[in-house]
Amino acid sequence: MNCDILFPVAVPIFALLPVLVLAQTPSATGVEFFESRIRPVLAERCYGCHSSKLREPKADLRLDGPAPTVVIPGKPEDSKLLKAISYTDLHLRMPPTGKLPDSAIADFTEWIKMGAPDPRPAATVAAKPLPPGLDIARGRRFWSFQPLAVPAVPKVRNTAWPKGEIDRFVLAALESKSMKPAPPADRRAWLRRVTFDLTGLPPTKAEMDAFLAGEGQESVVDRLLASPHYGERWARHWLDLVRYAETNGHEYDNNKLDAWRYRDYVIRAFNDDLPFDRFVQEHIAGDLLPKPRVSKDNTFLESPIATNFYWFGEVLNSATDSVKSKADTVDNQIDVLAKTFLGLTVACARCHDHKFDPIPTKDYYGLAGIMHSTAMREVVIDSPAHAEIIHKAHGAVPPVVRQPGKAKIQLRAGETLWEDFTDLSKNGWHSSGEAFAQGPRDGVIDSAGTDASGRAANELVGSLTSKKFRMPNHYVHVRLNATKGDKGLVEREPVRLTLVADDYKSVHYMGTGKGQFEWVTYRMTLAYERQCYFEIVDRSRTGNIAVDAIVFSEESTPPPTTEELPAVWNGPTPHPEIPTSTFGMVAWDESSTDVKLHIRGSHQNLGDPVPRHFLQVLSKDEAQPTISGSGRMELANWMTSDARALLARVYVNRLWEHHFGDGLARTADNFGLTGERPANGDLLDALASKFIANGWSTKKLQREIVLSAAYGMSSAESTEAAKSDPRNDLLHHFPVRRLEAEAIRDSMLAVSGSLNPALFGPSTVPHISEYQNGRGKPKSGPLDGDGRRSIYIEVRRNFLTPLFLAFDYPLPISTIGVRNRSTVPSQALMLMNNPFVLQQAAKWADRLSTVPEQQRVPLMYEQAFGRPASAAELKEAAAFLADGGTLAGFAHVLFNSPEFTYVQ
Amino acid sequence: MSSRRDFLCRAANGFGGLALAQMLAQAATKNGAHHPAKAKAVIFLFMDGGPSQMDTFDPKPRLRAEHGKKLPFKPPTTVFNISDQIFGSPYEFKQYGQSGATVSELFPHVAQCVDDMAIIRSMVADHSEHTAANYFIHSGSGFQGRPSMGSWVNYGLGSESENLPGFIVLESGLIPPGGLDCFSNGFLPASYQGTIFRKGEHPIADLTPPPAEVDQQRRKLSLLAKLNKGVVERFGDVSEIDATIQNYELAFRMQSAVPELLDLSKESEATKELYGLNDKMTEEFGRECLLARRLVERGVRFVELLTPARPGLDRWDQHSGLEKGHRINAQSTDKPIAGLLKDLKARGMLDQTLVVWGGEFGRTPCAQMPDNGSTTNVGRDHNPFGFTMWMAGGGVKPGIVHGATDDYGYFAVESKVDVHDLHATILHLLGMDHKRLTFRYSGRDMRLTDVHGNVVKELLA
Repeated sequence: MNCDILFPVAVPIFALLPVLVLAQTPSATGVEFFESRIRPVLAERCYGCHSSKLREPKADLRLDGPAPTVVIPGKPEDSKLLKAISYTDLHLRMPPTGKLPDSAIADFTEWIKMGAPDPRPAATVAAKPLPPGLDIARGRRFWSFQPLAVPAVPKVRNTAWPKGEIDRFVLAALESKSMKPAPPADRRAWLRRVTFDLTGLPPTKAEMDAFLAGEGQESVVDRLLASPHYGERWARHWLDLVRYAETNGHEYDNNKLDAWRYRDYVIRAFNDDLPFDRFVQEHIAGDLLPKPRVSKDNTFLESPIATNFYWFGEVLNSATDSVKSKADTVDNQIDVLAKTFLGLTVACARCHDHKFDPIPTKDYYGLAGIMHSTAMREVVIDSPAHAEIIHKAHGAVPPVVRQPGKAKIQLRAGETLWEDFTDLSKNGWHSSGEAFAQGPRDGVIDSAGTDASGRAANELVGSLTSKKFRMPNHYVHVRLNATKGDKGLVEREPVRLTLVADDYKSVHYMGTGKGQFEWVTYRMTLAYERQCYFEIVDRSRTGNIAVDAIVFSEESTPPPTTEELPAVWNGPTPHPEIPTSTFGMVAWDESSTDVKLHIRGSHQNLGDPVPRHFLQVLSKDEAQPTISGSGRMELANWMTSDARALLARVYVNRLWEHHFGDGLARTADNFGLTGERPANGDLLDALASKFIANGWSTKKLQREIVLSAAYGMSSAESTEAAKSDPRNDLLHHFPVRRLEAEAIRDSMLAVSGSLNPALFGPSTVPHISEYQNGRGKPKSGPLDGDGRRSIYIEVRRNFLTPLFLAFDYPLPISTIGVRNRSTVPSQALMLMNNPFVLQQAAKWADRLSTVPEQQRVPLMYEQAFGRPASAAELKEAAAFLADGGTLAGFAHVLFNSPEFTYVQ
Repeated sequence: MSSRRDFLCRAANGFGGLALAQMLAQAATKNGAHHPAKAKAVIFLFMDGGPSQMDTFDPKPRLRAEHGKKLPFKPPTTVFNISDQIFGSPYEFKQYGQSGATVSELFPHVAQCVDDMAIIRSMVADHSEHTAANYFIHSGSGFQGRPSMGSWVNYGLGSESENLPGFIVLESGLIPPGGLDCFSNGFLPASYQGTIFRKGEHPIADLTPPPAEVDQQRRKLSLLAKLNKGVVERFGDVSEIDATIQNYELAFRMQSAVPELLDLSKESEATKELYGLNDKMTEEFGRECLLARRLVERGVRFVELLTPARPGLDRWDQHSGLEKGHRINAQSTDKPIAGLLKDLKARGMLDQTLVVWGGEFGRTPCAQMPDNGSTTNVGRDHNPFGFTMWMAGGGVKPGIVHGATDDYGYFAVESKVDVHDLHATILHLLGMDHKRLTFRYSGRDMRLTDVHGNVVKELLA
């Protein structure tokens, strides 16, 4: 390569000059200055990271030649190089190993002033082959980006075995390798398998008896798919993908309000067999859909709840660098969105074009613009019909005689009365629910300009959100009159004014409940100069809040007031007839904006703005899409049209994975180049096509899967098969699988008779042992979680249940489509010594106390393993009980048996 | 307590003994030994909260000279973002040892060991607040859910202990902000998770049955072993089930290993005195330090010690009351740490044991004053732009001071060492190349150092 010739640190470069055409030949003095003062420093301190000799020079900067991007001849003040070496910018300090001597910096300044004379030829950039990330056309040829084919159903030799198309695909693959499927599982094993699979619970003895007495498999499957526990089981699989959590983590692990509503939404979606394309659309843009779904009881909107999934990530407690934190949040959103729906590691393209997949950085920032244009709002999501009922009830409440406690505020120099609530449009306040002003027409803003949430009835709830603005001052004084909230509703006061700075809830203004206006002051420690908005929320049916004024100030004390009249009013009268409202944390389109490309992922090194767009490799139309608002509505439509083939493949593969232990493509979250190819690609495509043809119905597809002969195989593995296909890629037998953490706990509750079958609702606080410490430690919930299924145990990010973690419960950090499967001693320790396990064993024994003694052990085998005890087992049990062992002890042993935690 | 015979009777059934041998072989699997190691184990003395560099190991006379004046430059955004008024250290500094390193009066005992230490005065980190900074110093990422250093080290080198987890965290009541996820295995398999040892008789949750159950447990395990025969017949040859059964053996060995570990009765009086076990002030951390030595002796790869709780103090996080707070924290840890270094050296263990001291960041040179404007009770804010850590033993060049901050102690300006560099260097000393210690997750080969980090050669002996 010619790099060596172009890089002659100690070689006289004049010899090379004649072959180069330079725009301006530098003067001899200039060159001498460069050679004696500048080049040695560059060579010694800069070339290590910034030279064309390197494969990947840092920041794509080459200083072994003129560098016009960082050196502006004649303008030291505009030259990034000088900024970097002068160490004045906190984030740009070069060389990173230590500042240059002052004399060297002075030399550089002088040199740039001279016009930056530089005799060197331009540093060459070796032409690299186009990385796959940039070659979209070539990228489209990759299997997962291809349109869905409808593969022909293959012919098989053994025509007796297949029950349907799935089986023909499976059998054809086996026969091509001269292998045979395992014989059918016995009926007990099949029922236990399919019951755990579809509901996460063991079959009851009655169910087993009915099946053995001749109930057909189809009838069983239909019963299980119709069970409300089906939705709980499959919702939990889904929650793994969206890193579902109910707290923010970080320092204090604050609550994420209303997260549980999303969990219930997912359970309902599975139970109702909501078409998957609709489910996806609601996730991406449920707040924007022209016809949002309403709940079955017609009280609240279902569709917007799905959008809560954007915000289950970790939230910083005090974001010192909020721009970076916001970028990190968006990164997590893109990561989860792309992996969950498309099985693509798009987040890899944050700093550079994807190294393997056809995803340029530009596509990442196209999506980032959409996320940056989307905010989360705490709003009432009542259905229009329900809102109307509340509005009518409100109208029937007689007006209350009141004299507002208005005061004249004497502003001091430099102070601004940012809001006095005489005109809600000034600061773009947006109201949801009935409590706050819809506008002056309601007469809600009284003559004195006080806005309040509980004018006549505390039962009215709602929220009021201001527009965004840049916080201009160091202090914000708020004059408010609010009841002390009732903390039973939410962790934070349900009646509050919150300042949100750069999307982080930074300060909560709350009243003391004295029944009169008072000033509350906060210093804008981090909010100063950030993008802020106010949110006034009243979620309480027993409280209210009135806000009189918001003052921006440099003074740490509130401004003086005169003529302060105490508020005189009758106070609200109780109106329990006003129906309850539903709050949700939902997406909201606002301040739509394209973001600039972050060079090497840094928010401090910005490139050109990138128009909001979607992944090019999956887009049918090469042109940029027309975007209105944030672009989420268009993204939702693109996902279920242009990207539908991949969307369906990824989802169908996930369903298969949860039925068979592994996906047809094992890397369920990575359908890119570094993911594994599906072992039976035709089967995957056939399933995906059929899935779409059947109206994206999850249950129809699952029904076909679990009724197949492939699903009904025994778990016995033949020696030959184990040799020729040790990973069971071709499915020659049904794999033995350990139950997930939740299913283990739920099974214990089920057999001990403690399972509380209640569906939905706010989560149960987890049990916190004395070994779990740290900030934000909640008050412990009951040891048995009130018998609720594990999906209802609150997911407190910093206090996850140790029993779950020992059995590979996923950390809620990003999409986890495939859980770890570890076998570690702590699992044995937990099952032996954990107080919950011991408690359930004791409860199980208690439950059996009414059963005749001789029938207890046999019944326990039926309940726990779905089979009768063998003679040898009965003998061992009798010996144990005769030798001082208790029935609870015996129950505990059965919990510890691998047969309890594994399914055949 | 169950008897070993209960397990052996299962072993006698034919597969136990064999499987055990397999398991031990597996435990010794090395994913990352790339070159000969200097250190076999790490003891990380994590000074939760962020000790102040200019009050401990990085003297800044200029702060004293300009005490009360304003900083001549605009300080970066910090968590409380409150002050640019210079605050000179209230402590005296002295030179120690042959190397002549200067240490404040807070650490008179540790100062005796400077000739064994490499003091890094040019640390930099990425985050200004505790939680992200804690995740960062532990896992190389400011986010929750990445594997902690101790997990990576065990993943790379395997455990040398048959009876104890390879990554143990000793706590005395204070868990750093960010919680137990500071010690998470993240995406690595669960076997690499940090195990928290609390102080007291029962250090690990669910290690032993409740007292009333002890007698029953013997019977239960015996029955379980017998019944498991049937399970194996029923399920056939499934390696996961075998491993599940074998886990009861390892669990049993942990049950007996822990009491033996905690029993300090065989330690000499001189040793106890050396670690400060006879003084109420130092007893708590002294015990952690002594346990750390005992854990390393028993083959544990990575031991992390957390700051002891002190009444009225919030770790090393003195936003106010720095003079008193730092003094108490130092008094609680100084003698035990020096005891640990001296003891390791005397036993010939220091050469193979890397001791690392430091917090998630340092502190600002400015006075942070209470909101009421009072000038007493002054503290310092968080500062990730320049702070001090030190290392000793395990192949570290002894008796050196590496790097420097500016005259105000605000920014590292000479030979900066960022947290990724520190991680790379620690892995290097353990015989691992930080660029080759990888785990495939989410389509990428993940590393403790992400895409960063350089081994700091100057710190190597």
